[in-house]
Amino acid sequence: MENKNNDLIVTHSLVKTYQDNGIPVKAVRGIDLTIQKGEFTAIVGPSGSGKTTFLNIISGLDVPTDGEVWLAGKKISEMSGSELSDFRRDHIGFIFQAYNLIPVLTVEENIEYIMLLQGVDKEERHRRVQKILTEVGLDGYADRLPTKLSGGQQQRVAVARAIVSQPSLILADEPTANLDSQTGVELLDMMRELNKKSGITYVFSTHDRMIMERARRLITLKDGRIDSDETRE
Amino acid sequence: MLSLKIAWRNIFRQKRRTLLTVLTMLGGFTLSAISIGWADGTYNRIIEMFTRNRLGHIQVHAKGYLDKPSLYKNIKDYGDVGKKIAETKGVMSWTPRFFTAGLASIEDKSMGVQIVGIDPVRENEATRFNKKIIEGDTFSEKASHQAILGKGLAKTLKADIGDEVVIISQAADGSIANDLYTVTAILESGNMTQDRSTLYLHLKDAQELFVLYDAVHEIAIIAEELGQVDEVTERIRTKLDNPELKVAPWQEFARSFYIAMKADKEGAWIMLFVVILIVAIGVLNTVLMNVLERTREYGTLRAIGTAPLQIFRLVIYEVAMMAIIGVIIGTIISIPANYLLSLQGIPMPEQFTYGGIEFTHYYSEVNLHSLYLPAITVVLSALIVSLYPATRAARIAPAKALRSQ
Repeated sequence: MENKNNDLIVTHSLVKTYQDNGIPVKAVRGIDLTIQKGEFTAIVGPSGSGKTTFLNIISGLDVPTDGEVWLAGKKISEMSGSELSDFRRDHIGFIFQAYNLIPVLTVEENIEYIMLLQGVDKEERHRRVQKILTEVGLDGYADRLPTKLSGGQQQRVAVARAIVSQPSLILADEPTANLDSQTGVELLDMMRELNKKSGITYVFSTHDRMIMERARRLITLKDGRIDSDETRE
Repeated sequence: MLSLKIAWRNIFRQKRRTLLTVLTMLGGFTLSAISIGWADGTYNRIIEMFTRNRLGHIQVHAKGYLDKPSLYKNIKDYGDVGKKIAETKGVMSWTPRFFTAGLASIEDKSMGVQIVGIDPVRENEATRFNKKIIEGDTFSEKASHQAILGKGLAKTLKADIGDEVVIISQAADGSIANDLYTVTAILESGNMTQDRSTLYLHLKDAQELFVLYDAVHEIAIIAEELGQVDEVTERIRTKLDNPELKVAPWQEFARSFYIAMKADKEGAWIMLFVVILIVAIGVLNTVLMNVLERTREYGTLRAIGTAPLQIFRLVIYEVAMMAIIGVIIGTIISIPANYLLSLQGIPMPEQFTYGGIEFTHYYSEVNLHSLYLPAITVVLSALIVSLYPATRAARIAPAKALRSQ
């Protein structure tokens, strides 16, 4: 199976089975899904519905037991560990619930980390960091350590880190779960703006009603399968 | 570069743990640096005593003399040879020696002896000859038919200062060599076997008795520094450039002593092994704790595209930095400690005298060897035990690691 030009993520008969104390647990039970470039999609569902597992598989953090995953025209379900590592570095930005910034690096260093791995030169890194800091509203925070920032500010840094390397896809796992509602709204609106401006695809895994309201496509998972798939204008 | 930066800053995240780890490495380093310095100091002192007391650091003989000593295998025109030796860089002093055997008698007591002809001034400069005299006076500067007897020999011959000793042997020209000498002193060299059979004559007297003018059998050389003996030996060989002469350092002509010293010094490896154990246990504990605590962080780094090798390096750099800090502080502590012990020493439980030298203290020594060996041991053992946690961190499954608390 191959993807069409505008398809960013294509999964076919995706299955993931875990062993829990020797008992096989099917977290994902045959998902066929296509997500196109530029989408602002939320994957929702109750706990244990397979959201995080699905997100891990389409980002190459986990491998499927069966089925195929294509991302940006590459079949990532058959890549080796180091190939996946390089692929994630160049194509995927991550936003985590707990921000997961490197505590010993400043805001600027956290943001430029992936660019350093990519071998982007110093001048270009600095230029991009300054630009992104303005975009996420953190001008003047470049030299601060994450511990000196509020939760909302840390998540903005995480967003900046995710988008600064200009990936094809941003995967956000419960990005607003640790934020108060006002901060969460501001962050989501900022990401929505960035999505419109840059065309980067956003896929959220969430329980948050605010995200569901803002998503243009809402995919509901239940027991490892797609229960509903709703696109809004 | 960024890995180095992260590793450096990581060191200060768990300050107490880092402090304990650095202290473990610092303690291990300092302990072994002082013990190696001490062992080197003690052994070098024994070697120095052994060589300075009689043998010299370097010896020159006629080719084949050491394998089969003979009156006829001698160094001709020794004064010229000695002059060239004295001009060689690193030579402190030199002394000529004449060796042969004979029969010594005092009244009705006789004994076969080893006759050693010495230049009293040079011998005293080189091997502190006069300090070994326990009774009587040393030779006059000019040859005047005097003899000095080893303590054991004097006892056997029942010799007293002022007694006359008759020496009978065969001269180099085949004639009977016999003459009368006055016992001027009794000597204790520290080597009892040697003292039971050695009789010393003034070099000129010995040469005259054996009709071998201007010839000696050995030239003993004292180098300015024990550690430079090999270089000085090579310089003397080049300077003399004489295939008929054999120039050898003490490790060659006192091979059995050298091997014994070397074996003894190897005991220092036990100390290094203890250090390896201490460092290994301390470091393994710390690094495993760090890796365990940072599982989620390593998971994040892997998720955003950090290669396993880069994570591996991160862990190794952190340990290497702590080890280097330990070694630097350890060096700052152990150099003055060894220096102080090299000046003051530690009193021996039982003091003794050997060859005119009194041994009362154990002394240490400041040298490069006592620093680089523990440094390599500490850094390498820390790095080796870190391989397992570093590999574990590098092979972390990102999805699983991100779920950890």
